[in-house]
Amino acid sequence: MEWKLFADLAEAADGRRVTVEVDGGATVGDALDALLEARPALADRVLDDEGDLRDHINVLRNGENVFTADGLDTELEEGDELALFPPVSGG
Amino acid sequence: MSLSLDATQLDRYSRHIIMDEVGPEGQEKLLNGRALVIGAGGLGAPVIQYLAAAGVGTLGIVDDDVVERSNLQRQVIHADADVGVPKVESAAAFVERLNPDVTVETYETRLGPENVGSLLEGYDIVVDASDNFPTRYLVNDAARLAGVPVVHGAIYKFEGQATTLVPGGPCYRCLFPEAPEPGTVPDCATTGVLGVLPGTVGCVQATEAVKLLLGEGEVLEGRLLFYDAMDMSFETVPYRRNPDCPVCGENPIDSIEGIEYAGGCAVEAE
Repeated sequence: MEWKLFADLAEAADGRRVTVEVDGGATVGDALDALLEARPALADRVLDDEGDLRDHINVLRNGENVFTADGLDTELEEGDELALFPPVSGG
Repeated sequence: MSLSLDATQLDRYSRHIIMDEVGPEGQEKLLNGRALVIGAGGLGAPVIQYLAAAGVGTLGIVDDDVVERSNLQRQVIHADADVGVPKVESAAAFVERLNPDVTVETYETRLGPENVGSLLEGYDIVVDASDNFPTRYLVNDAARLAGVPVVHGAIYKFEGQATTLVPGGPCYRCLFPEAPEPGTVPDCATTGVLGVLPGTVGCVQATEAVKLLLGEGEVLEGRLLFYDAMDMSFETVPYRRNPDCPVCGENPIDSIEGIEYAGGCAVEAE
C-alpha cells in the first residue's frame, strides 16, 4: 500500500511516497499505523499527546476524505491510494 | 440591454465582452464588483494584477508590510524602486498604472479580530492571500458570519492549496478544524518558496474571484485543489460540511468574540 504525503509531512517522513505492507482485510488505520511505525518523525508531527491523529491532518483514500465516511476503520482494497495532507499557510 | 460601458471600456474589455459567458452584462458586474484582497504578497500580487486588469471596479487591499528586496523574486506587482514602500501603496500605484477604471481602497493595517468586521463591510468577496494561520482562520470565521464568500489560497515551497468557501457550503474549519501549533509548520522565510508558485496559485484564486463576481462556472466549493509544481500535477479532493463545525455546523458561533486567533485558533466548546 502506498502513502502519498503532502507539504511538510513529506519532509517529516523523508519522502513523498512511502510503501507499507499490510495484511488482507486491513483498514486505513492499520496502514497508518504501519506508516507511522516506519517513519517515527512523521508520527511526532501528526499525532497528539494522546496518540490520536491531530485534527488538522486529513486522510485520503483514493482521493476521498476518509473522515466523511468510515474514518480510519475503512477497509482497504487492493490498489488503494492513501494520502495524508496538512493545511499550509504561506502566501 | 442598457449599456453603461464607454467606448474605451468596450475596447479594453473587448475580449471579455465578446464571450457569451461574460458579455457586457458580465463586464458590468465586474466593474461594479468589490473584492477585498488580504495580503499584497506572493499570492496577493497576481490576484491584484489580474483582478485589476479584468476591471473589478473596487479592490480593497489589506497589508501592513513594506516591500523587501527578498519579496521581489515572486511578488510581481512590486518593483526594485518600491523597496521600503508600504505594500498597499506600491500595489495601488501598480493598479493605477494598469487600469484607471479600478478604485483601490488601501488598508495599511494588520487584519485582526478588532477590525475584521469593519474591513469586510461592503465587499462582495474576500480573497485570502495572507501568509499565516491566525489570519486565515479569522478570515474564514468572520467572512462566514458576514455571509461573504472567501477564495482561499496557500502555498508551501513547491505546493499550493486552493478552495472557495461559499456560504451554504463547507468552510475552512470543516477541512481543518484547528491550525497546527505555531512552530509545527515552518514559514516561507525559513523554508523558501519557488518564486513562480504563488503566481500559479494566485491566478487560480483570481479565476475563482472573477467567476464568483460573474456568477458563472463551477467554483471550488467543497473541493480542495492541490497543485504540485515539481510533479506539475493538479488534483482536486472533495470535502463536505462538518455538522459539528463550530462556524458553519448545526450549532454555529454567532460572533468571533472569545476566539483566540493564536496557537491552534481553536473555537472552544461553550
